[in-house]
Amino acid sequence: MTSYLKLAAKNILRHRTRSLLTMLGIAASVGVLFAVLSFNKGFTEGLALELERTGLHFMIVPSGCAHEVAALVLHGAVIPKFLDTGVMEHVERTEGIDLATPILVAQLPDRQRGKIDLIYGIEMDVLEAIKPGWEITGTVPRHEHEVLLGYEVAQHDNLKPGDPFSSPAEGVDLVVAGIVGYSGSQDDAFVYLPIKTAQSLLGYPQSATAIGVKVDDPTRIGAITASLTSAVPGIQIVTMSEVMNSVANLAAAARALSLAIVLIAILISAVGVMNSILMAVFERTQEIGMMRAVGASRWDIFRIILSETTILALVGGVVGIVLATLGARLIETFVRSVMPFVPSGDMIRFEPIVALGSVAFIFVIGLCAGIYPAVKASKINPVEAIKG
Amino acid sequence: MIELKNIEKTYRRGVENVRALRGVNLTIDAGELMAIVGPSGAGKTTLLHILGCLDQPTKGEVVFDGISTASMPESQLVKIRREKIGFVFQQFYLIPGLSVFDNIALPLLFSKKPAEHKKIEQLAEMVGLEHRLNHAPSQLSGGEMQRTAIARGLVNDPAVLLADEPTGNLDSENSEKIYAILRRLSDEGLTTIMITHNPELAGRAERTIKIRDGLICS
Repeated sequence: MTSYLKLAAKNILRHRTRSLLTMLGIAASVGVLFAVLSFNKGFTEGLALELERTGLHFMIVPSGCAHEVAALVLHGAVIPKFLDTGVMEHVERTEGIDLATPILVAQLPDRQRGKIDLIYGIEMDVLEAIKPGWEITGTVPRHEHEVLLGYEVAQHDNLKPGDPFSSPAEGVDLVVAGIVGYSGSQDDAFVYLPIKTAQSLLGYPQSATAIGVKVDDPTRIGAITASLTSAVPGIQIVTMSEVMNSVANLAAAARALSLAIVLIAILISAVGVMNSILMAVFERTQEIGMMRAVGASRWDIFRIILSETTILALVGGVVGIVLATLGARLIETFVRSVMPFVPSGDMIRFEPIVALGSVAFIFVIGLCAGIYPAVKASKINPVEAIKG
Repeated sequence: MIELKNIEKTYRRGVENVRALRGVNLTIDAGELMAIVGPSGAGKTTLLHILGCLDQPTKGEVVFDGISTASMPESQLVKIRREKIGFVFQQFYLIPGLSVFDNIALPLLFSKKPAEHKKIEQLAEMVGLEHRLNHAPSQLSGGEMQRTAIARGLVNDPAVLLADEPTGNLDSENSEKIYAILRRLSDEGLTTIMITHNPELAGRAERTIKIRDGLICS
């Protein structure tokens, strides 16, 4: 039984190589669209999760460093300004504070191992309090020269509890006390040290990059931060939602660029589809003339040609989603290399809504690309076509 | 059944106007087997296309079963082509990706009728292709391709079969087979009009008209 779709499919199969190349163009652009949309969704969710996992409600930083704080919380960036730990006294006197801890986050080059460690100096009892969900192999450091390693650090150097951990400071021998289980967040990339040890190793004995604060009642954050800002000069308070916004804003430009590139790729593939179908129409002019002679209306011809573009777009779209899902790791590695502040964990996952949306989008684009060749075909004069 | 009244057809070719038909009057009765002969460029194919409602005359009137097609919209002409006319071409124009069965059934797609297996099989049997229904056109000989095209032209049960040089690309043996089929169809009451350059086949038709310079000359 012949149908419009069967006829269209058979026509596509008549030029397998051309159809395959056209379809691959669509698949590539849809795959990237799916990957970028999926990555954006994963990025937002991952960032929220990562901030939630810090267990803190806000951070006190030297004034003018809001964006840098965003960076340090997530990636241990080097901050040019430090808070004096004397600020701690003011914080501890403030009502409604459940917990406050100085945090010293910095990059520490280790020439012996040829890599840069991300150091996270914090009081260890505070660390246990703000990270109740961690599964630790071994223990939290109990002595000043013990360290707790994030999962990725331990995996990278193949370390286990009790192993020595090289120190860039002469005469300081560090030992691995414990290893944090895989969290899928930035936590996996840090080396956790008692704050005093971190300050000593980094050469900033009285300093902190920030003071992390957890409050008794999160609904009172506004009042507490206002009170602190008025009482302590030279500080700025950044809530975790502000950190998220800062990072999200920084990443927005990269996301916009990615989407613009994807849209251009889709436009190019749509032109490819139009060109391919247009060529097929010209090649089949006599055949179209025959169909008109045996009873096909202009609308029938329009439908057949439009069905061809629809099939190409849909098959290309589905293949693109499958390829993007299968190649998620590769794409994620690439996108991470061009986008700033990407949270840890799998960003590209198969999201049915995103997949359906991507296929629906290319379906509409395919329809638009098919209209011109379909109109052209429907206007072919059967008498001239049959004469050749 | 079909009456042509003073048909003229002029079309443009580059900068010049070509008068393909210059006042053709013709009446074709139901069930007639008619051959149209004449030199190349005489206007035979143009006449066939006008008879088949595929082209409209510049002047004159075509009356089909008592109804003038002169002022019919395109949709009505499509309907007449679907329901009353079958076309057979010299070049066959089978669709390569479809089987013989699907090629025969193709016009049913446009007339929105179901492709009943029994009917297609009967048509294939009538043209001697019952064993070839699942084959692709590329697996057929020239004669078989033309027989497939005839079956396709008959699938909508037309009142008229128009064949434009149906044996033009075939050897004498296959030409004879095609003519035999057309003869049988005519004997069964189908009006059959064919253009041919083969004088022997034309001589065996019930009526032969000769066209020269856009006019019927005998």
